[in-house]
Amino acid sequence: MARHDQRVGYGLPLILALGLHALVVVISVVSLPGSDDEPPSSAIVQATLVSTETATDQAQRAEEARTRAAQRQEPESEAEAADAEDAAAPEQEEPQESEQTPEIDSQAAEEAEALDEARRAAEAEAQRRAEEAERQAQQRQEQEAEAERRRREQEAERQRQQEEEQRRREEEAERQRQQEEEQRRREQEAERQRQQEEEQRRREQEAERQRQQEEEQRRREEEAERLRQQEEEQRRREEEAERQRQQEEEQRRREEQEAARQRQAAEAANQGLDRAIEGESDAVANAEQAQEAANSFINLVRRAVEQAWVIPPGSSDDLAATVQVRLGPSGELFAATITQGSGNSSFDRSAIQAVEAAQPFNELRQLPGSAQRRFRDFNLRFTPGDIR
Amino acid sequence: MNDSMSIPHLIMSASTVVQLVMLILVIGSILSWVVIFQRTFIMRRARKAHQEFEERFWSGVDLNELYRETPAEQETQGAEHVFRAGFREFNRLLTKTRSPEAILDGVQRSMRVAWSREEDRLTLHLVFLATVASASPYIGLFGTVWGIMGSFQSLSMAQQATLATVAPWIAEALIATAMGLFAAIPAVIFYNRLSNESGRLLGKYEDFAEEFHSILHRNLQGRSEVGSA
Repeated sequence: MARHDQRVGYGLPLILALGLHALVVVISVVSLPGSDDEPPSSAIVQATLVSTETATDQAQRAEEARTRAAQRQEPESEAEAADAEDAAAPEQEEPQESEQTPEIDSQAAEEAEALDEARRAAEAEAQRRAEEAERQAQQRQEQEAEAERRRREQEAERQRQQEEEQRRREEEAERQRQQEEEQRRREQEAERQRQQEEEQRRREQEAERQRQQEEEQRRREEEAERLRQQEEEQRRREEEAERQRQQEEEQRRREEQEAARQRQAAEAANQGLDRAIEGESDAVANAEQAQEAANSFINLVRRAVEQAWVIPPGSSDDLAATVQVRLGPSGELFAATITQGSGNSSFDRSAIQAVEAAQPFNELRQLPGSAQRRFRDFNLRFTPGDIR
Repeated sequence: MNDSMSIPHLIMSASTVVQLVMLILVIGSILSWVVIFQRTFIMRRARKAHQEFEERFWSGVDLNELYRETPAEQETQGAEHVFRAGFREFNRLLTKTRSPEAILDGVQRSMRVAWSREEDRLTLHLVFLATVASASPYIGLFGTVWGIMGSFQSLSMAQQATLATVAPWIAEALIATAMGLFAAIPAVIFYNRLSNESGRLLGKYEDFAEEFHSILHRNLQGRSEVGSA
């Protein structure tokens, strides 16, 4: 009969469902970091303004050092090849020599046949000579082998040293580059801090100025109040005097008027002084405003260029190009040239196009004269951050 | 930056309401999958059992023998259950009344009860699946709307509204919708599939009940003729 043991429970389905979800989670977690690991840069700003001086070329210098090292290595390898050839040459000569010695032998034999007496001596001599030549050849061979071995060892040693040196140089360049990066980062941070501080100082000064103005106004109001009181008193006194003594009153009134005029003059002098002080603080504030305007101009240019910048697809994140921008007096673009290319021509072109699309920078006209001259010529550094 | 864009990080940094919505959706998804697996197993067994029983029933075996072979009432399922209920009622009524109409009426009633129990057993929890299928997209959408609301509120505080400041919030909010769809899509597919299958099985049971009824009817017809003769 059919199964009567069934009654499907919930245990197995629960395990299967949980397993399925765990699998989905694992897949989503595992695959995503893999694809996300590529852009580790943390720059939000895609274009950064560099001061009018060109950016340090430490990286370039490191590159140059590397190429120089490579060049130096090339002659060495050539020398090595020459040495090898030298070593081969004597070896080729040797067989010729050994061919010559049998010839001498045969000559000696012929002479011995002609002259019996001289034969033995000649034979012995020939033998000796042959032995000597052989010994010499062996010695030479040994010496040459040893010399060659020594030369090869030296060469290997030299090569190893050179490699080490090169490695050391590369490491040093790397370290230098890192240090410079850190320094640049620190400088940027310092710059940002300075800006914040400046802003705070400006705000404080503004508050100070306002307070001064308020005080002055209060003072002026108080003075006006006093004046009014005095006038009232004077009028009262005048009325009294009119009632009592009309003749004397006229005289007194004239005196009082004079006194009032004097008082007014003093007051006017006071006010003049105040105004002078105010003018001075205004001048200071104007300078601050100029600084602020310059900063905001940098930001405006940066933002405009960022928005106009279309990064070519497929350009890697570590590309960087510096564009020199020259502006006309009213902010129109005179010239934008690459001062330090990234090596990727489409990337460079996109940077120049971004600057061209972002012009004219009309905000330049709002800057004070000194700042205008400063910002007529500046460098923009393009580095693609991670674009999200 | 990209670390903050990974899905676990986004889920962790979501607001409480959105996290709650996500939790509800995950629970709904897990439960719906439990139902899917459990129902799939039950349907498969029921189909196999029905096939076996029908083969046996139509193999010409004696019905009394078949009744004795089948186990107790509570353990039988499907057409077997219907058969047992009908045959038991038939045997009981046969001793009490001689009216064939009364006997057939009783048999039909008891078979209908058994069939209805089978229907209840087969379609158990399918309503839950339908609920998850229709409700979870809305729940996910609610989470997304809530998340985007929060993102715009915080956006109003920010000085500069660039794409980079908005993107993580929106991505985070959209995860809720993704989860809702993730729960809803399998639930819809399997609800349709399982309800169709249970409908077909119930149709088979009904057919069997009718056939069995006609067999009993034939039997009674013969008996009453014998009795009257």
